[in-house]
Amino acid sequence: MKLFVCIDDTDNYDSIGTGELLENMMGEAAIKGLAKIGFTVRYQLYIHDDIPYTSHNSSMCCTAEVKDREVFTGFCEDYLENNSAEGSDPGLCILTDASEIDYTSLIEFGKSAQSEVLTKEAACKMAEKFGKDIHLSEHGGTGSGIIGALAGAALRAGKEEGRIKGKLQPLSGKTDWTASEFASVFGVQRFVDEEGNEITDNISIRFVHPTKLLYSKGLITSVIINEGGLLMLKPKIKKNREKR
Amino acid sequence: MTNWTIKDGKSIFTGGKDSYKAAVQTAESCPSFSEDCEDELFCSDAVSCYNCRYRRWTTESFECIKRRQK
Ligand code: SF4
Repeated sequence: MKLFVCIDDTDNYDSIGTGELLENMMGEAAIKGLAKIGFTVRYQLYIHDDIPYTSHNSSMCCTAEVKDREVFTGFCEDYLENNSAEGSDPGLCILTDASEIDYTSLIEFGKSAQSEVLTKEAACKMAEKFGKDIHLSEHGGTGSGIIGALAGAALRAGKEEGRIKGKLQPLSGKTDWTASEFASVFGVQRFVDEEGNEITDNISIRFVHPTKLLYSKGLITSVIINEGGLLMLKPKIKKNREKR
Repeated sequence: MTNWTIKDGKSIFTGGKDSYKAAVQTAESCPSFSEDCEDELFCSDAVSCYNCRYRRWTTESFECIKRRQK
């Protein structure tokens, strides 16, 4: 059975981030033979004073393939209880990943979490509509993490755009690639320019700075920038262009 | 020159999200700077309030949590 697994609000200012906790949790599940895991996508949720996020209000969602959903869910619940940071408000969402499910209303909920303040009650009401296909649980504090957890799972189910957790490092000794070479080595399925236009030609690209991948239109995507006529993988973080 | 304004007891950075130089200068003289997790780094400056785990993004700028606690 395929699942989306999303957690939120598990951290405080001095703890590891929610993304790292999710990776640790899924890594342990994999080691125990409870799940095969996929990559994690970060979704930016709404930045607003009335939302009690720690630092950036992002939600992290990964995919998993499990044999026994109940055992896997129990493991995740225990893991969050034992490993979430003090003072945090953890929430867990586990959603069935199946083509026959109509996620439309859920995706709308996920999108609205990116532009408005939502309540726990709204999250629970939405989750109820999906019966056994959604597990949504609180694990301490106010439990308000269920809002972001449900939103993250919803956005992932809707193949909405988010950043894939982690980064790709340039390989020493190889800076010049063709798009097809790069795609086959790093598992990239799609290239776009900075405006989001798809690049289908087998272009030559330079890979000299760490770069991040996007999850966009349901595909692993690389962003290509034009630096003075050279096509390059977009650097992982924004360059400081302010004059000093 | 101060880079902070106080709003409802919170210290808000006056430079918004595009004052890299001020964010670097502030962090370089701040004993509490601590780099945020890799996925949340914002700019290419190693030491900058923009990359600090104690900045809490707001719509226009960020609040420094450490300054709130002082
Ligand atoms: S955000 Fe606050 S704690 Fe972090 S470096 Fe800036 S002033 Fe210091």
